[in-house]
Amino acid sequence: MDLITGLLTTAFLAGGVLALAAIGEVLAERVGIVNLGVEGLMAMGALTGIAAVTATHSPVLGFLAALAVGAIFGAVFAFATVMVKANQVLCGLALTLMGTGLAQTIGRSYSGMPAVATFEPIAIPLLSDIPILGKAFFSQNILIYLIYLILPIGLSYLMFYTRHGMNMRAVGENPAAADAAGISVNKIRFLYVTAGAALAGGAGAYLTLAFVPSWSDGVIAGRGWIAVALVIFAGYRPGMAALSGLLFGLITALGFVGQARGWPVAPAFLSMLPYLGTLGFIIVPVIAWQKMRRAMAAPAALGEPYYRNVR
Amino acid sequence: MAYRIQRLPSSTPLIAFAARVIAVVLALLVTALILAVTGHNPVELAGEVLSSSLFDSFGLQDLGVIFMPLMLTGLSVAIGQQIGAWNIGAEGQFYAGAFAATAIGLFIPAPVWLSLILMGVGGFAAGAIWILVPTLAKAYADVSELISTLLLNFVAALLVYYVATGPWHDRMTNSATPKVPAEIPEFWGAIHWGFPVAILLAIVLALVLSNTKWGYEVRLSGSNPSAAKYAGIPVRRHLIMVMLLSGAIAGFAGMLEVAGTVHRLQGGISNNYGYIGIMVAVLARGSLVGVIFTGAFMAFIQNSGIILQTQGLTTSAVLAMTGLILFLTAIGEELSYYRVTRDRV
Repeated sequence: MDLITGLLTTAFLAGGVLALAAIGEVLAERVGIVNLGVEGLMAMGALTGIAAVTATHSPVLGFLAALAVGAIFGAVFAFATVMVKANQVLCGLALTLMGTGLAQTIGRSYSGMPAVATFEPIAIPLLSDIPILGKAFFSQNILIYLIYLILPIGLSYLMFYTRHGMNMRAVGENPAAADAAGISVNKIRFLYVTAGAALAGGAGAYLTLAFVPSWSDGVIAGRGWIAVALVIFAGYRPGMAALSGLLFGLITALGFVGQARGWPVAPAFLSMLPYLGTLGFIIVPVIAWQKMRRAMAAPAALGEPYYRNVR
Repeated sequence: MAYRIQRLPSSTPLIAFAARVIAVVLALLVTALILAVTGHNPVELAGEVLSSSLFDSFGLQDLGVIFMPLMLTGLSVAIGQQIGAWNIGAEGQFYAGAFAATAIGLFIPAPVWLSLILMGVGGFAAGAIWILVPTLAKAYADVSELISTLLLNFVAALLVYYVATGPWHDRMTNSATPKVPAEIPEFWGAIHWGFPVAILLAIVLALVLSNTKWGYEVRLSGSNPSAAKYAGIPVRRHLIMVMLLSGAIAGFAGMLEVAGTVHRLQGGISNNYGYIGIMVAVLARGSLVGVIFTGAFMAFIQNSGIILQTQGLTTSAVLAMTGLILFLTAIGEELSYYRVTRDRV
């Protein structure tokens, strides 16, 4: 029983990083922009989180600062891809290189230093005493509730039940029609790409303030790329993105348990699980569930720059 | 008379080249500015870099040692681009090639010449195998190769790290395999015969692409897949072949790194060459001969990072600068489609 409680608790904690970053990427891709810079944004967010918490001793301020830094880099990326309409793949890769390189350069003085204050688990009275599941669901840090409850529910409502959400999805599906209907394509794209990047920055800070919690050069370890892949698996839905993050948290947790219990598998192979798992997750569903394809399909204008006067 | 800004359907090579030069110069200026603000003297540092890399025989050799893998990973990415595939996994294929070459070099006893040939074939094959799953997924299920190729980079890095520190480790170092006995002979300092082979490979591939029916079909499949399909060109078969070739070239780069430069397998042997190779291909605008020149340029940038390390700066700063160059190049490429025209009223 302890094993299941431990697995679930770690799964929520480990999956939070991916869930948050994937929700952010859902926002960008739903308006038609692929942001491959998540890995770099997370690196900057992770470093900002550590730097801010070192200065202020407040993890909340650290998280907010990381959101802000993510938004600033996101705005630069959005300027290039939405306003100038430069190649999204290249700008995303560039953002990854810039973010990673910059964070490592500035982060040298924080290397290996544990966070002075972290997001601590808060046990909700009574509920957290439920056997097996109580600890995993109701004794977590506050960001867990933001990532798995507030953001998915709030964003799903916004995207699928409001006029604004319809406009937003129209921009990703058919920008020319949205434009003709009086929706400002560039404004909506800029807004959501920037917001998504802010969440990616937040995901980085989650890593250094709630999960690891310290800064080192390779701390992101490809999680940004996994998050981008999860968006495809999640069918571009915020709720599914959170769930996919949790699923990956479970895979990571299995690896931890395997290491702790001395399973006869080298740690390097257990560390490969998330990457190989992700690869399987983006390939298998396409082949296995042909009928689901339309429901899970990418926004029709994903990756396409929108020029008003080119027809 | 009124001026009008217009986006044209195509851009000319000259303007695209100018846009790249401007992007690079801007990126260097921004970097110099940041260095100056953080209390360094950019002019002095630039002088240091130039004198110890371009005007020094050992410096030039160092440059060559970085140039070769970069040119080949750039060639790998550029080959993929011909048919519209982004191989972001050259890093992993490089590792795979280095892994296979080391395995052959360490465990198959053979005379040096035969061993080198086997290692070369092994490097090609391992690179192709490493990109096989993403290739088939793209060809048959339309799964984007961007992420699938990239994810395998992490797997390859972990695999190489595992064997270099685990089952194959050298008793002395613990962090690398023993020395691989077969070495590619050198002809000028650290520069070995893999160097001309790599350049020849780029030129031959460029000639094949521009002068054969196969090359024409590949380029057409890349620029207009539906027209190519309509014309009866086997687009899918070409896509699979070109992507496997792209992986094989990156794997070959990994083999050359083991057999010619490092002589053993160690974690991190790929040195970001795969990622910077993307930069090399983008700067060359997909030209296979172009990667020889842009590879040399990026080698210079990377080498500067190593020189600047002695001045208390990290190589990560160069990674950030590479990102900035890529970012500005992408913007410059888009802007190169615009013209200011003057129309008479």
